[in-house]
Amino acid sequence: MSTVEKYLKPEVIRQIKRLDLRAQFIVKGFLHGLHASPFHGFSVEFSEHRKYTPGDDPKDIDWLIYAKTDKYYVKKYEAETNITGYLAMDISRSMGYTHRQDMTKFDYTICLAAALCYLMISQQDPVGLLVFDEKIRKSLPPKSRRGQLATVLSVLANLKPTGKTDVAASLTQIAAMLRHASLVMIFSDLLAEPEPIVQALHRLRHRGHDVILFHVLDEAEARFPFEGMVELEEPESGERLTLDADNFRHDYLAEIEAFREMYRRECFQAGIDYVPLDTSMQFDKALAGYLAGRKARY
Amino acid sequence: MTFVNPLLLAGAGLVVIPLVLHLVMRRRPRLVEFPALRFVRLRHETNQRQLRLRHLLLLLLRMLAIVLAALALARPSLRLSAGPIGSQRAPVAAALVFDTSPRMEYRHENRTRLEAAQELALWLLAQLPPESQVAVLDSRRGPAAFQVDLGAARHRIERLETTADAQPIPHVLAEAARLLAGSELARKEMYVFTDLARAAWPIDAAGRLQERLNEAPDAGLYLIDVGVAQPANLALGELRLSGQIVSSRSTLRIETELISIGMGDKHTVELYVLEPDPAAKVPGARRPEKRGEQTVSLTPGQSRSLEFRVSNLNQGTHQGYVQILGQDGLGADDRRYFTVEVKPAWRILIAAPKPENTYAVFLREALAPESFRRSGLARFACDVAPLDDLPQKDLAPYAAVCLLDPKPLEPLVWQKLADYVAEGHGLAVWLGRNAEPVKTFNEPPAQDVLAGKLLRQARSPEGKLTLAPENLEHPALVAFRGLAGGVPWSRHPVYRYWQLDALAEGAHVIAPFNDAGPAIVERPLGRGRAITVTTPVSDDPNRDPWNLLPIGEAWPFVILANEMMAYLVGSGSEELNYRAGQTVALELPADRIAPSYLLTGPDGTQARIAPDVKQHRLMITSTELPGNYRVQAGGPEEGVDRGFSVNLAPEQTRLERWSDQELAQFFGTYPFRLARSKEQIELNVHTGRVGRELFGVLILAVAAVLGLEHVLANRFYKKG
Repeated sequence: MSTVEKYLKPEVIRQIKRLDLRAQFIVKGFLHGLHASPFHGFSVEFSEHRKYTPGDDPKDIDWLIYAKTDKYYVKKYEAETNITGYLAMDISRSMGYTHRQDMTKFDYTICLAAALCYLMISQQDPVGLLVFDEKIRKSLPPKSRRGQLATVLSVLANLKPTGKTDVAASLTQIAAMLRHASLVMIFSDLLAEPEPIVQALHRLRHRGHDVILFHVLDEAEARFPFEGMVELEEPESGERLTLDADNFRHDYLAEIEAFREMYRRECFQAGIDYVPLDTSMQFDKALAGYLAGRKARY
Repeated sequence: MTFVNPLLLAGAGLVVIPLVLHLVMRRRPRLVEFPALRFVRLRHETNQRQLRLRHLLLLLLRMLAIVLAALALARPSLRLSAGPIGSQRAPVAAALVFDTSPRMEYRHENRTRLEAAQELALWLLAQLPPESQVAVLDSRRGPAAFQVDLGAARHRIERLETTADAQPIPHVLAEAARLLAGSELARKEMYVFTDLARAAWPIDAAGRLQERLNEAPDAGLYLIDVGVAQPANLALGELRLSGQIVSSRSTLRIETELISIGMGDKHTVELYVLEPDPAAKVPGARRPEKRGEQTVSLTPGQSRSLEFRVSNLNQGTHQGYVQILGQDGLGADDRRYFTVEVKPAWRILIAAPKPENTYAVFLREALAPESFRRSGLARFACDVAPLDDLPQKDLAPYAAVCLLDPKPLEPLVWQKLADYVAEGHGLAVWLGRNAEPVKTFNEPPAQDVLAGKLLRQARSPEGKLTLAPENLEHPALVAFRGLAGGVPWSRHPVYRYWQLDALAEGAHVIAPFNDAGPAIVERPLGRGRAITVTTPVSDDPNRDPWNLLPIGEAWPFVILANEMMAYLVGSGSEELNYRAGQTVALELPADRIAPSYLLTGPDGTQARIAPDVKQHRLMITSTELPGNYRVQAGGPEEGVDRGFSVNLAPEQTRLERWSDQELAQFFGTYPFRLARSKEQIELNVHTGRVGRELFGVLILAVAAVLGLEHVLANRFYKKG
């Protein structure tokens, strides 16, 4: 694994304290793994020519120049979009959960959001931030200048996941708040009644927004690694249940898979990109999810 | 169930410990924060139920382990038969039952089965606690009693010997159970030393045995098998003689079979007849003279028939034996003895209407053919007389009288015939066309002799009616037994016969016609017998005959006439060959009864026996020893010199064994134990007295339960 790609791993990124660096490392690591530049081919306009070097896409060769000069030049493009992106972050108490005590779902979400923010700003897309638990707690208007990354990161760095969650209400609020069609990237563990959430997602989609749903679960929530007798406590409600984990694992995994499958199906019907994640997964999966969705649209 | 340490059973009370721990000191599960609890909640109920079930299962296993451990430490033992509890050294009421049939003489590893049984019994006797009551029973008939002490029991066992008249073991065992039931000792035991032969354990005795055993329900029953699993032996079957009383110069036929159990190869069987020994110093002494020898090849399990013929026997009593040459495992069944008496030809009076010789020709030729008469070989000496001579005729010299197609006779003549028969003679009446008017035959004097009232002459001119003997058990028909189905009765049709109305009291049909009507009917009268044949054998074939019985190849008629006459003269009535233990009755001539008779046994022992003067009989009860016996009185010239033979019953020497499973049917639900060696006896007796120790089983169960508990607990409470 190259030194850059290792930054796609959460356990490595965790060791980097500065969020901007984290974002940078994740994105660079991700881009390094791609064979072609992700920025080419969508929402860009011509900026300049440069000499062809092996590795460039031959379709970009400007044959008029070749006819005139007998040399290969490729056309260079520059982003000219104004896709407004919103990073909608769930900061309910459950997002602060980590079983292994290294990276909470929230940390993972921040890294991911930071990387996406970095990615978009480097494309000069305006990015805004929406933070919610039961309702929207904080918001940053979308901007595409370089300074926006620092602003977003400073807000993210100061967030603490506390309190209860009402994803559906928050999404409804977001739908009402956004006036222009935007790309809404939702980061949540979706640990609430699914029906209102699905309705809220539909509503959001109905308003013309593109939605990418990053469903982030803790590694423990995704795999249920407990053994023997355990008493499980819900952090938000304080409810407790005692059970035999070994015996229960199979049932639990079936439940969680059914839950994800339900969201996958609903999102597919609504035209929403659904990216199931857990905190042990590399970031590139999340970024690839984002890019795939983006490419499909533009 | 009994316990060595019953107090330790209290340890089962510790069973409350896991219960208390379960209820009070429940282990707290690890508390884990888990936001996705909603997915757990959905299936939690089912999981909780399983969890409770597992808890309960573990609790039960732990409690079970404690109870089993307490039970094991109390050292329980299970008694298969309910019996008294106490020390092993308490006195025992023991009945030692020995099979002493001749079969126990079977020699294996240079010991007879009885010797093997004695050795085991003496050893067993030494194991019995002092003060024990011991009864020693064997196959002889007689009441059982406890011996005075163990020494007397030992002495009795040492003196045991086989008996030819052995009763079945279940009978002896029932007697032992009765004896033990009366004992005051709490512990009762029965030991049966047997070779498990089928003959010793007849299946029909099982019901009675079980009833008797249940009278002593707490007695331990031990079968000690001293038999040989795969016996090898040759045996001679019973001797079948052509007659025990034969006429002089007729041929004696002796049939038997050679039976092989587990032995193959060729074997020789010899026939010896005892002849007077002129060289002997003792008068009347006899020596065996070989009169026949046959060699047969046998495979194991096979049996072969043998037949010997002895001719030229003079008048008098002849004895002999058939024996297998060589030695085998059991000597008792290698020799069979026989006695026959040779008498002069029986005198028969044939009375017929005139011309009597014409009437009598068929019957006389059948009984005493011309050529036999000339050579003196005929069994019967036939006198022919006209019916009219009967009133004056002295019938005493005749063994039997035949009436051929009788006319109406004087009542006095019928009365004379009835008296003659009642004295012990035979009468045969062949009814024919002269039996008219019927009335005279249906009146009392005639009806005292005839088999029933004459109804009418029946006709069957088509020739379909024949004799059809069904049951060939009757002595007059027994000669046809080997030919059943092969006798051409249909070639000798009966056209006419007398239908009988109802048979006289006591009369029974020996042979019917094929339409089920009576053909030959026997009527016992006093000490004699009268036979009525409903169709004659005296018709001239040229004169519209009533039947064709004596015509053509008439061998069935010849056999029938001969056997019927032999039956009427009583040639088979006196028994000269007995089984061991039977009471012998020898008829004595009424006019020459000696005050006492000298009985010489097979072993040379002699005894004086007084006759039963009233019955003209000599009764002899001491017949346990197989062999040839002689009875003499009055010196060699004028006196009586008779004899008889005693043989073992064939089943006494049959070595076929019951399997252990089959043996169980004798005892039903009554528990018994089977042992073959001292070790097995020791183990069985110990188990029977003390019971089967359950400690080992229980400890194993504890280990199994604990192991299961460990596995389940590990599975249920894996450390996270």
